[in-house]
Amino acid sequence: MINVNKLTKSFGDHVVLNGITENIEHGEKVVIIGPSGSGKSTFLRCMTLLEVPTSGQILFEGQDIMEKGVNINKIREQMGMVFQHFNLFPHLSIMDNLTLAPIILKRMNKEEAKEEAIRLLKRVNLLDKADAYPGQLSGGQKQRIAIVRALAMKPKVMLFDEPTSALDPEMVGEVLDVMKELAHDGMTMVVVTHEMGFAREVATRVMFMDGGGILEQGKPDEIFSNPKNKRTQDFLSKVIV
Amino acid sequence: MWFDTLKGKFVSDFIEKARWQYITKGLFVTFEVTIIALILGIAIGTIIAIIRAGHDQNSKNGLHGFGGFLLKVANLLCRVYITVIRGTPTLVQLLLMFFVFLPNCSKIFVAMLTFGVNSGAYVAEIIRSGIMSVDAGQMEAGRSLGLSYSKTMRKIIMPQAFKNIMPALVNEWITLFKETSISGYIGLNELTRGGDIIRGVTFDALLPLLAVAAIYLVFVMLFTAIMSKLERRLRESDKR
Repeated sequence: MINVNKLTKSFGDHVVLNGITENIEHGEKVVIIGPSGSGKSTFLRCMTLLEVPTSGQILFEGQDIMEKGVNINKIREQMGMVFQHFNLFPHLSIMDNLTLAPIILKRMNKEEAKEEAIRLLKRVNLLDKADAYPGQLSGGQKQRIAIVRALAMKPKVMLFDEPTSALDPEMVGEVLDVMKELAHDGMTMVVVTHEMGFAREVATRVMFMDGGGILEQGKPDEIFSNPKNKRTQDFLSKVIV
Repeated sequence: MWFDTLKGKFVSDFIEKARWQYITKGLFVTFEVTIIALILGIAIGTIIAIIRAGHDQNSKNGLHGFGGFLLKVANLLCRVYITVIRGTPTLVQLLLMFFVFLPNCSKIFVAMLTFGVNSGAYVAEIIRSGIMSVDAGQMEAGRSLGLSYSKTMRKIIMPQAFKNIMPALVNEWITLFKETSISGYIGLNELTRGGDIIRGVTFDALLPLLAVAAIYLVFVMLFTAIMSKLERRLRESDKR
């Protein structure tokens, strides 16, 4: 589904990604772990071109997304993105947050978009917040809304950039529950996170990144119980699994 | 005694030969110039702000190709325009326009254009600051949903930016309204000059100029009141 080929990214002299080649298949749930500054967020953001790679190639369903003449907006419609800081639109009600993109991009008409939004809000138990504004919601509620806002576009893959890092501890669970449900429904997911429990439970593949490269990857059991790379061992010994 | 003197002055200043018309007609001209200049200023300011902000936001990823080159040139031109307009007195701009650049145009047209072009530079910087004040995550969220840059700008960034800059914009428009009073220098019969003409005829400075001042004051207070009402409505999404 997503093929990354020799991807590099530098900010000035600072090399963040040094030549990543990786494939993400349909239906996979890939969890990317690693220390801060390892390039995992940048890697994720490159996949949807929020960060423009310095060199390399990214294919989405066989389509080179950096090729000239490719409409990146059309590709982004098929990739949902969830951010650490939610990035809900504060000037719009929750309902409008969900229906804005589908309506503007003519994916649905107003009624369809509204119906879909109601269905999604029910799914995350927040239908009663339809007319509220983002400022009135808790962090966990905001992130659940951010997830269904991305789902409203019916994407083929969902990218999560540390979705629980900005949350109070007691709100992490409700967001992870939504993500788990999504995983069970078969969504292709790429998740950058520090939630090792989630990685263990949901991931079909765990990647450990450090220094701008993928140092080790495999099934969660292999990575967490029997890491081979020295730095993976160091990292995992410092986090609570 | 003093009351009778005042009454006499009032009659000669405003009633005789319907001199009050200098004030009312002047006020009308002031409004014409202000409104046209305001619209022109918003139009110019918005375009320039979008060019400038677009340049600043996109230069992070490097500007490539012909589009990038065009944006760089446009940004440079905008900066020159803003620097020149903000760096020279409005009165000098008005005189230059009237006597040098557009000697064959009507006074009121020159005034509208000058104040519009002048206000545009200030409005541009206000709007740009508003755009920059919106969290970068908002643009990313819009783009990640598949919205184009311009759609994200229109539907997500601009509404938030305008809310943030409303007070600054109103200030700018109040300044503009009062600043049109210098159009008297090119002989335009606006409000201030209306009062001054009466002074020239009746040799009484007090009442005509006080009347002019009071009229400016009343309208400024009115704008402020309308705007604070509007602002309160815009704040609706801020409730917690």
